[in-house]
Amino acid sequence: MKRKFRFRLTRRAFAYPYMIFLLLFVVVPLVIILINAFLDENSKLTFANFVEFFSDAGGGLTVLGNSLIIGLVTTLICLVIGYPCAYFLAKYHASSRVFVLMFILPMWVNFLIRTLSTKAIFMALNVKLGMGTVMFGMVYNYLPYMILPLHTTLVSIDHSYIEAAEDLGADKMAVFLKTILPLSLPGIVSGITMTFIPAISTFAISEILSGSKIFLFGDAINMHFSKTTNSFGVGSVMSLVMLVLVVVANVIVNLTSKDEEATSVL
Amino acid sequence: MKKFVSVLAVLLLVCFVLTVFVACKKEEADTLVIYNWADYIFNEGQMEKEFKSYYKAMTGKDVEITYVTFDTNETMLTRLTKGDSNVDVVCPSEYAIQKLIEMDMLVPLHYFDEEKYVKDFTKNVDSSVYVHNADNVEQGIRDKVGETFGNIEITADNSKNKGKQVSMLDYFVPYMYGTLGILYNKFEFERLGIYDSETLNKANWGILFNDNGEGEVLSDGLTGNILMKDSIRDSYAATVFYLLESGGLDELKNSDGKFYTEMSASELINEVDDNLLELVKDALKDQKRQLFGYEVDFGKDDLLSGNAMVDLAWSGDAMYAVEESWDDEREDYELAYYLPHSTGNIWFDGWVVPTTYDPDHWDAIKLFINYLNRPNVAAKNLLEIGYTAAIKPQVLLDDENAMRILAEGYEYDPDDPDEMAEFTDYFFHYEDEIDLSNWRYPFESAEINSDNYRNIDSLGVMRDFGNKNHDVVTAWNYARSAGVSALPMLGWTALAVVVVVGLVCLIIWLKRLKSHNVRLR
Repeated sequence: MKRKFRFRLTRRAFAYPYMIFLLLFVVVPLVIILINAFLDENSKLTFANFVEFFSDAGGGLTVLGNSLIIGLVTTLICLVIGYPCAYFLAKYHASSRVFVLMFILPMWVNFLIRTLSTKAIFMALNVKLGMGTVMFGMVYNYLPYMILPLHTTLVSIDHSYIEAAEDLGADKMAVFLKTILPLSLPGIVSGITMTFIPAISTFAISEILSGSKIFLFGDAINMHFSKTTNSFGVGSVMSLVMLVLVVVANVIVNLTSKDEEATSVL
Repeated sequence: MKKFVSVLAVLLLVCFVLTVFVACKKEEADTLVIYNWADYIFNEGQMEKEFKSYYKAMTGKDVEITYVTFDTNETMLTRLTKGDSNVDVVCPSEYAIQKLIEMDMLVPLHYFDEEKYVKDFTKNVDSSVYVHNADNVEQGIRDKVGETFGNIEITADNSKNKGKQVSMLDYFVPYMYGTLGILYNKFEFERLGIYDSETLNKANWGILFNDNGEGEVLSDGLTGNILMKDSIRDSYAATVFYLLESGGLDELKNSDGKFYTEMSASELINEVDDNLLELVKDALKDQKRQLFGYEVDFGKDDLLSGNAMVDLAWSGDAMYAVEESWDDEREDYELAYYLPHSTGNIWFDGWVVPTTYDPDHWDAIKLFINYLNRPNVAAKNLLEIGYTAAIKPQVLLDDENAMRILAEGYEYDPDDPDEMAEFTDYFFHYEDEIDLSNWRYPFESAEINSDNYRNIDSLGVMRDFGNKNHDVVTAWNYARSAGVSALPMLGWTALAVVVVVGLVCLIIWLKRLKSHNVRLR
């Protein structure tokens, strides 16, 4: 009794190409990184790569710390600027199509081109490149990722909730704090994830806008892979650390978010 | 309907892309897979056309060329060692060739050994077919390579040749060479009052560290305007030379008890011991205060736009940048290249054949290498790339065609004997007024002009870091990440957020108070 495998063109079959793609270009590379993390230059099993990274021999932990702080600050600034922006865009939804477009428009231009132009502007204004310019570039680049989910959530809030709150005697502040803010929490959560995760792994923006003086975690990983031939191990450990951080960030965000649908954007 | 049309459009696009890939299948002609640096040959399309007709003339057969490029030696090494790429000829730098030989991944060419060459290279074809161009290669390069890479031990565990000592000369054919030096903005240096032979020759590599050669600041105007190359090897070499001339190595010995100051340039840059590494690390860390940044690709633009004034650069890149920097108003080049007098680094790139080559392509490989060593091809490459082709200058001078190409490239009239003489004098006996040497032809200028106190021995060739590579990377990582902390950023932002939140709370509280009062009334 052998069951023959027969290919039938069901609806499910249309998902196979992408499944195969995922397997080949997501799962397999991850496994390769995992294996590389435990290998030394001569492909022998070792834990030295982990020891080297976590003992901060090459300043790897310091770099990671810097990256996390910059990511955190970027997210914070994006939230502070982005929320009011998204709020008013949503409030005047009908007439603000053009403004929404203006926020999305820069995203259609490649971020490298945008960053290089930002640098040119700073240079023309005689601004010294450094931490400040990097922060500016980061906020500029990631702000749309904060505004868009917020805007989507805020627009979809049923207006009758707000009317009900007003009917029950809440003033404007109370309506915002007790109704709009809690209802927009899913948007805030997904905005934070969408900003923080790319922000901690960025390196091109910091390279261009600091003249490569600010060395971030992404730079460090990049260096271990493309500037040398025999330190793939440490680079892989760093990539794994990055991956763990992303997963942890996601889990925390999921836990704090009451509404599980919120993070479905990711 | 609209949806249908858009879906159709996307499908068409995908089909188009796919056809492009599928269309690139193999033809029946001889083939050759070339793996070269990006932008490291004259006009690719034209080269292919020319080589095809050359090949046809030599063998009577057609040849198909696949041209692939890389941008660092490391990517190339990774692809050759870890990938399954089957390329026929590769053009790595000297230290990468050393690594490939150690891994026993190269096929010996015996290009410089007449007897073996004739035997190996003309196994199945009439030897008269081949133009023998090995003699065209600059003798100085062969000497330097023989000196530094004469005894490379094959260390690959799985190789039957393990432990064998070989010379790099048997494995590669030099293609281009150049030096490591300092590219600077001449106008800015004039403005700062440091543009004269004496000042620069005293500062030497100190220019990159804003040090006048005596431990004092060269010019306050340089602070924050220096670019350092984002390359571990070059930065290491420059720093070691700087340490040497600034007295940072005085009375220090290596583990064998030899004084660093008594070593030759080659010995010193290849001496990668822990003491030296520690000193380099500290010097690079201290240098950070003087830097505009680390240059990755945009060095030339930053120098021309005045963002930076100094950059660590290779001679060919520098040459290209200098020639682009002509200022019509001042009728002078804005940028200039300086090759420090005390010590320096000279490097080579050459063609090698990896063991994974396709034996069917052997004829094409041989002819391609020969083709590149023809004087007229070398002249075109010289013009296009800016580095010095590894062909003896005399060979170029003797070849009318090559001289024509060069003269036209520099906008001299090749038909006018006076202009030709002027051009020859400019190109081959050109002397920089600051460093008093011809940095396009360091070997010749050392011979001709003995009182320019440039001794060819002062230019060291750098080997692979070997088992010290890891330590050097760690040191570089450390120097790069040192001195910058994002912590103050967090502090300031936290403060700003607290202030904002405080203000909002205050406003709310005041409003509440007000409405409360209203209600009370």
